[in-house]
Amino acid sequence: MTPILEISGLSKNFGGLKALQNISFRINPDEIIGLIGPNGAGKTTLFNCVAGVEKPSLGKVTFTKDGQATSIGGRKPETVTLLGIARTFQNIRLFDNLTVLDNVKIGRHCRYKSSIFGAVTRSRSQQAEEKAIAETAEEFLAFVGLKGRGGEIASSMPYGDQRRLEIARALATEPRLLMLDEPAAGMNPMESRELMDLIERIRKKGVAILLIEHDMKVVMGVCDRVVVINHGEWLTEGKPKDVQNDPKVIEAYLGSGAANAA
Amino acid sequence: MFLQQLVNGLIIGGIYAMIAVGYTMIYGVIQLINFAHGEIYMLGAFFAVTFISFLGLPFFAAFLLSMICCAICGMFLDVLAYRPLRESPRLAALITAIGMSIFLQNLAMIIWGSRQKPFPHGSVPAYFGQIAVTFGGVNLSWFHIFIFSFTLVMMLGLHLTIKKTRWGKAMRAVAQNQTMAALVGINVNRVITYTFALAGALGGAAGILVGAYYNSLYPTMGYVAGVKAFAAAVLGGIGSVPGAMVGGVILGVAEALGAGYLSSLYRDGISYAVMIIVIILIPAGLFGKLIKETKKSM
Amino acid sequence: MGRLRIQQLSRGGKIRIGLLILVLILPLFPFISDYALHIAILIFMYMILALGLNIVPGFNGLLDLGYVGFYGIGAYTSGLLTIHFGLSYWLIIPIAFLNGALWGVLLGAPTLRLTGDYFAIVTFGFSELVVLFLTNEIWLTRGPLGLPGIAPPSIDLSWLGGPKWEFAGEVPYYYLAILMVLVTVFVMYRIQDSRLGRAWFAIRDDEIAAVSCGINLLHYKVIAFAISAAFGAVAGSFFARWVTFLSPDMFKFWESFLVLCMIVLGGMGNIWGVMVGAVVLVSLSEILREILPLLGLPVEVRFLVFGLIMVIMMRFRPAGLMPIPAVAAKMKAGQVKRKPAVATAGSKK
Repeated sequence: MTPILEISGLSKNFGGLKALQNISFRINPDEIIGLIGPNGAGKTTLFNCVAGVEKPSLGKVTFTKDGQATSIGGRKPETVTLLGIARTFQNIRLFDNLTVLDNVKIGRHCRYKSSIFGAVTRSRSQQAEEKAIAETAEEFLAFVGLKGRGGEIASSMPYGDQRRLEIARALATEPRLLMLDEPAAGMNPMESRELMDLIERIRKKGVAILLIEHDMKVVMGVCDRVVVINHGEWLTEGKPKDVQNDPKVIEAYLGSGAANAA
Repeated sequence: MFLQQLVNGLIIGGIYAMIAVGYTMIYGVIQLINFAHGEIYMLGAFFAVTFISFLGLPFFAAFLLSMICCAICGMFLDVLAYRPLRESPRLAALITAIGMSIFLQNLAMIIWGSRQKPFPHGSVPAYFGQIAVTFGGVNLSWFHIFIFSFTLVMMLGLHLTIKKTRWGKAMRAVAQNQTMAALVGINVNRVITYTFALAGALGGAAGILVGAYYNSLYPTMGYVAGVKAFAAAVLGGIGSVPGAMVGGVILGVAEALGAGYLSSLYRDGISYAVMIIVIILIPAGLFGKLIKETKKSM
Repeated sequence: MGRLRIQQLSRGGKIRIGLLILVLILPLFPFISDYALHIAILIFMYMILALGLNIVPGFNGLLDLGYVGFYGIGAYTSGLLTIHFGLSYWLIIPIAFLNGALWGVLLGAPTLRLTGDYFAIVTFGFSELVVLFLTNEIWLTRGPLGLPGIAPPSIDLSWLGGPKWEFAGEVPYYYLAILMVLVTVFVMYRIQDSRLGRAWFAIRDDEIAAVSCGINLLHYKVIAFAISAAFGAVAGSFFARWVTFLSPDMFKFWESFLVLCMIVLGGMGNIWGVMVGAVVLVSLSEILREILPLLGLPVEVRFLVFGLIMVIMMRFRPAGLMPIPAVAAKMKAGQVKRKPAVATAGSKK
């Protein structure tokens, strides 16, 4: 099977700091991959390199959709989104002053095209588009379990709901690959279980998932494979169980004082 | 002719530099374009004249006292207007800065009137007007030499203060990272307020020098000078103190030569044009690092 | 489109319709002097300016300090086309709109990729250059002497065999200004509620998240800036044909500041708030213009009050008198105390 995302020899330097060195791994179209590693290992930097926020110093990132391979290293973030990669952020980034529904509608943005003239004249095609945007946005809200909450202001929702809204917004861009940056952070056990269920359902829609997560229960529970990086270098990868018992991984975590992996 | 223009440019450029370092230092510590800085410069000139005419102080005493007053004004500006907005979006602080600028300008208009004023007769030392040196057809008065050496000493002193003193190190630390600076025990707010004081003193001094040099002061004088000095700071790279000094001198010279050889009508336009072109082509300026404000938290 | 039924309107809607009717019949009252109408027209013109400017700071979270530059370009374009070519006002409006938009693109495209502070200062420099140009290019603009004798607009039906009717007195301008305000408000509402408007709001609230939703920042900021500039130029074209005299002094930074003050006071991003801001500040300005000379102060000093209003609003009520709905809701729930909510671009999150 052609992988949906292939990262090969990816490196990123910030001045003298080597944030990522020669990272390679691949994600298959129906896989849920966990990306773990101690704090400062370079996980978010890797996300940013894929998403186009950072330009890789070296190496290739190839995204394959419908048999068509595109090299995306260094592409602009909006282009990457348009190609079919969506993401959420470690510290939730919602459009705070807008309603929940508008947040998701903005996620739908890149799949439509009406602009100023359509807006002012409310042409028939623009009205049809608006209707479609509203309907699909509602569907995505319902999918993450926020049905009927569209009218609330995004920033006034509870934390866990904000996380789910951010996922709904990312899904609204119709990605083939979804990158989640610590989605379970700050969630209680029940919320994490719901999150795991949500991640499974997203995969069933045919979306591959790359997941950064510190909550090992979530990682063990949903991931097909786990990639471990440490100090910006690829450490190991494999089935969650194997990785969990890998002495190298335990050392990496214990060495840096994060005991929750052991 | 060319040499004379060059000398004029250097003198005015030095003064621009003194104002520009104020913009740059403040931008360095709190990432704010302090639009009211030009008004501190204007206040400097008016304070000096007031001290001379009402307290009968001699020129240099009034000069010094006015610098102190401008430093205090700078501190008040920070504490009253900007400090409450530290956690607010930058737009709020920027709008406040513009509001303060307009407010101070009009306050000066109420206090001192809107018409141009000269320095009181005989208050500026008489020997300032006398020619000190002549070379290659260029006449240098004692006032030229005073301005030149004063700006030089101030810039050198500022440079040493920032590089060598404890306080200068604290200021650089705050400019780098406020949170970290606070963690290592630096009183961030105090450092910022002192930066405003220092910027105010230098800006005020520049105002007195210009007021005395052209023998004219008016409440809106800070407006144009402020923009030009800001252009100098941008040219040098905002946030970089040596950059502001070099930028000021380059701009002063460019303006003097441009006004002499191209068109004096667009004298002020040269600064605006330089500023816009630099911002578009090399936003980091000659010495600065590009500031990526939106990516800070990633 | 649905037909309008009075009983279906909300209370706010009824109030607005009532206000509009009142405004429409205002000139019929005998106690309304020409001076009062003049002030009303001034208010309407500033409403257009404020609504136009609002797009940039209110919808996109960017500070535009050079708005008056576009206003000046529109006014002089209108004046010169009228004097030299006798162009009809109805033709000048679209020309002014396109001309303003063109200048907006020319200035915005290279500068809108910059961070907010730099953008603000570039717009400032631009408007100062416009004033210098108007002052110094005497062959075109007559410089400080000003441009007198601009013909008022007329409604010419002679091609239909009808009469030609030239604007005289304040009343025709009054209705023309109302019409222009209504069109502006209509356009703003439509945009606010569209894919374009949502893209702007996304940029205002969080640029990085906006990009991750596939929004091309530069593209949408340039559109915003161009539309804003276009409305500025249209207001200028009206101004030229109304006062029939232009001088470079009318387009100094003060004007940009005054318009900015209107939207800050009224509530950045809120269409109604911005219009209320225009009403309050134009009225206040006129009142101060009467009072200040009595106190022996120059009329320019009224800007002291405006400056103070800006500072106080930012400190205590940064969202303005009429905040955008989301902020209003949060303020009601006590979630926002002093934290300004609008225009968070580049905020320290």
